[in-house]
Amino acid sequence: MDAVISTVGLAKSYHGRPALLGIDLDVPPGVFGYLGPNGAGKTTTIRLLAGLMRPTAGRARVFGLDTVLDRERVQLRIGYLPGMFVAYPRMTGEQYLRYLAGLRDGVDWSVAEALAKRLDLDLGRRIGALSHGNKQKVGIVQAFMHRPDLLILDEPTSGLDPLVQHEFLGMVREARDEGRTVFLSSHVLSEVEAVADTVAMLRAGRLVVVESVQHLKARALRRIDLTFEGPPPLAALRAATGVRDAHPADRTVQVVIEGSAADLLQAAAPHRVSRIVTHEPDLEEIFLDYYQKRA
Amino acid sequence: MLRNVFTKSLWDQRRSLSGWAAGVALLVLLEAALWPSVRGMAGFDELLNSYPQAMRELFNLQDFTTGRGFLNAELYSMVLPVLFVVFGIGRGARAVAGEEEAGTLEVLLVTPVSTTRLVLQQAAVLATATAALGAVLFAAVIASSPVFGLGIGVADAATGSLSMVLIGIEFGFLALAIGAATGRRAAAIGAAATAALAAYLLYAIGQLTDPVRPWLPLSPFHQALEGGPLGAGLPAAYAWMALAAAVVVAAALPVFERRDIAAH
Repeated sequence: MDAVISTVGLAKSYHGRPALLGIDLDVPPGVFGYLGPNGAGKTTTIRLLAGLMRPTAGRARVFGLDTVLDRERVQLRIGYLPGMFVAYPRMTGEQYLRYLAGLRDGVDWSVAEALAKRLDLDLGRRIGALSHGNKQKVGIVQAFMHRPDLLILDEPTSGLDPLVQHEFLGMVREARDEGRTVFLSSHVLSEVEAVADTVAMLRAGRLVVVESVQHLKARALRRIDLTFEGPPPLAALRAATGVRDAHPADRTVQVVIEGSAADLLQAAAPHRVSRIVTHEPDLEEIFLDYYQKRA
Repeated sequence: MLRNVFTKSLWDQRRSLSGWAAGVALLVLLEAALWPSVRGMAGFDELLNSYPQAMRELFNLQDFTTGRGFLNAELYSMVLPVLFVVFGIGRGARAVAGEEEAGTLEVLLVTPVSTTRLVLQQAAVLATATAALGAVLFAAVIASSPVFGLGIGVADAATGSLSMVLIGIEFGFLALAIGAATGRRAAAIGAAATAALAAYLLYAIGQLTDPVRPWLPLSPFHQALEGGPLGAGLPAAYAWMALAAAVVVAAALPVFERRDIAAH
């Protein structure tokens, strides 16, 4: 399928200081996680995609439309949540959302109401009187309410409590199931892992890797603790395919393995394994692993 | 009701606009109430003639013997233009740059509202608000005139308000344009206020010194105040003020369209 977002050599400098160093990125339909530590260039990328800035070099296309030349047409089709969402403090949630709905034609108000209800957001209160988490909910509703083809969300879960986060991830999944694309940035990896089909990792203005979550996990290093009835066959374990490291601790060996564990288990089996504990890798570890390899 | 930038921004201003309107009306009322006692002062003409020639020209003191001249000198030569200019600059600077600094502009621009449409709607808001203030001024003068015997006609009051509205819009649009081009409210206020001060100095110095006099028509204050504004009729200079206002906003449009919007 065609990429929803496609960038070629996308770069941005602020007053000569580079923030994004030429990114080639193709975002397929689905949920795309854009990961990286603070200052890696996530917000810069997102604001370029939303048409709020112009690239210093390279270009970005959204639905095949150039974000500079066709800015208005791109903006018609996206829902955008800024990293620091700010709304008019003197308006109530309802006034604000109705205002934005009026600017965009054809917003079904019942959709906005349903979203607010789902996030447990009181639309009757003035935005200035809301907590940070509740303000963030207003931001989420305004991004989703016109049912855009592409949602661009910068750190959407910041300030949300776990229950609301869960609800939000449900909304992201539903958007995907309806054929819409969600591009969300985060430095909290576990939430992206739960919902993203593909992730990109960004570091110091460069893309480190773009990979499907499945693939990444399959290729990832995982830890397997093997406990033997007798002395562990350390040499045989270390010789098995894929084994990166093996640490003995009494009768247990902590093995770090990449990819399939078939060869390892074959090597271990004759030595009477009494217990196997495997640790499912989370993106955090994979992430650190990628960083370390590149560092 | 609040379905576009124009109505929403006007709605936002409803309280401050009422405050300004009340202030202007009160000012007119107080000034007008002074007229009967000023007119009745013994030896008033001698007092006026004892002022230096320069001051008599700057504040049109020679006309001080009529209600029209009195208001021109006391209100329309200094206090009202300054009030309208302050009103315009404050609103103009807030319209785009203020919203950008507050952080609300990001979401607003990622809607069908383009940078150009935003500026044009904000310019319309500013023009409408300033015109509303001008209408209040007009009404206050028309209402006070018969009560205090100022003898000011509808046409005089109308051109007086029009010139105040135009000078407020001109510097307000300048602040709006600078705010849109830079995204910085302080820059918009600073530059527009400096321009207004320079224009006033040119007007004042041009009245007093002959070498500067040929440059006088360049000053918006001269354009607004020459020969009145009460009783000036409809001078062609008013068109220049409207044109200048339109030109500065038009010049800011391509800059705003091409520049980066600041992140909060």
